[in-house]
Amino acid sequence: MSRQLAFHVNAAVCTGCKACQVACKDKNNLEVGRLFRRVYDVDGGGWVERNGFMEPNVFAYSLSISCMHCQSPLCLEVCPTGATFKRADGIVMVNKDVCIGCRYCEWACPYGARQFNEATGQSSKCDFCADLLDKGEQPACVATCPQRALEIGELSELQAKYGATSQVYPLPEADLTQPSIVITPHPAMLLANANTARVAKPGEV
Amino acid sequence: MNVREWALVAFTILAQMSVGAFVVLGLVHAWAMQRYSPDKADQLSDRALLAIGPTLALGLLASLFHLGNPLFAYRAVFNLASSWLSREIALGSTFALLGALFAFLQWRKIGSFELRNVVALLAATVGLVLVYAMARVYMLPTQPAWNTWATPVSFFVTTFLLGTLAIGAAFVATYWWEWRGGRLQGSALAEMLRPVLRTLALAGIVLLGLEFVVAPLSVALMATGGAAASVGILTSQYGVMFALRLALVFLGAGVFGLWLYRTALRPGAETLLGRLAWTAFALVFVSEVLGRFLFYATHVKIGL
Repeated sequence: MSRQLAFHVNAAVCTGCKACQVACKDKNNLEVGRLFRRVYDVDGGGWVERNGFMEPNVFAYSLSISCMHCQSPLCLEVCPTGATFKRADGIVMVNKDVCIGCRYCEWACPYGARQFNEATGQSSKCDFCADLLDKGEQPACVATCPQRALEIGELSELQAKYGATSQVYPLPEADLTQPSIVITPHPAMLLANANTARVAKPGEV
Repeated sequence: MNVREWALVAFTILAQMSVGAFVVLGLVHAWAMQRYSPDKADQLSDRALLAIGPTLALGLLASLFHLGNPLFAYRAVFNLASSWLSREIALGSTFALLGALFAFLQWRKIGSFELRNVVALLAATVGLVLVYAMARVYMLPTQPAWNTWATPVSFFVTTFLLGTLAIGAAFVATYWWEWRGGRLQGSALAEMLRPVLRTLALAGIVLLGLEFVVAPLSVALMATGGAAASVGILTSQYGVMFALRLALVFLGAGVFGLWLYRTALRPGAETLLGRLAWTAFALVFVSEVLGRFLFYATHVKIGL
């Protein structure tokens, strides 16, 4: 089987501090508007009746995501130039010598991972900090997380260790692109009533 | 909406209009040959044919404005294996080349009639496949507002509706040109203008009926197919524009189309005929541009 690098996100310990987001911005020198790694703050709930009493069931959690380096990346399938490619280790990358900036990948990607670089007129995205990986280092987001909530590894190994959860609110259906992500759910993710869960402060992501 | 998305509105509308005009012109030409003679058919359609090329060229040029790096636009055909966008650009370029080749052969009367016929049929086929490919570009599983059969159907209705009325306007322009040059006396054009305009006006009315089936159906498909957010945007933010788009196409293809048909039943009134044909075309053109604008302005992606 071919290798597929993946992120493990331990949402159970994530505090939503957004250090990963800032480290990513710093490493990739992203201007305002581009965020390869984003932390979604989710909240919801309200009052429910139980045994004749009203009880609160409010909840909140944070989910840090970047490009999912999908196993069936829709962005790669639709890319008209072939600039989008998958490295041998499963990282989805953009060849800057080929991309013409048609932005078709942005319409296709359900994770908002494909972001337009106005300065170069090309598509850009999380590349797993491939340059750091090649030097034997960790991606900036992983190295920065004060909670050690982010981890990288071979997808199958991470799944064996942490389970195969890859779809929690507000992520889209995993069937669409088969994202290479393993999520250790926050307890609230399991309780979260999809009807009341919402992305809080959507302007921040 | 920004410049990039307006570029796509211009490209898709102009390219579809070119395909529709090419096919409709071919049908009218075949009819005129049967009914009159090849020479007379040429008199009718040669000038109109020359207007299609620049329209398509303008559309292709507009498409460049949606690229971050337009200089390297040719790379867009590198992924024919899996990208409908690549196929769209390849088919668009092939249609342009075949159409230009045919127009040149037809204009200079080079090659046998059979040979030109084959080139024209080939170009028309590639053009129709192009419209299908254009629709497929938008049928992404992550775009529920676009990922329905209403997208190809409405693209084809736009293609034939604009093509039909554009050819009507082109014939009127040819007629006016010949009249100004004093070449109208005894020409086939004078004889053919009215029956052709009547047929085109009727075809426009039929296509309008189709559009009035497809437009509400596409909204219903959006509502049931997981694109409720798009329906919300369409009915609240763009409700007036949507109503205006439907009103304009009804006025153009319906009211002016019927008026054109009735005027073309009797001799005389050439000036009125010309104005009616052009007004019908202009109204429908504006309506289709608004419709395509709404297509881009109301899509909401699945996920983040």
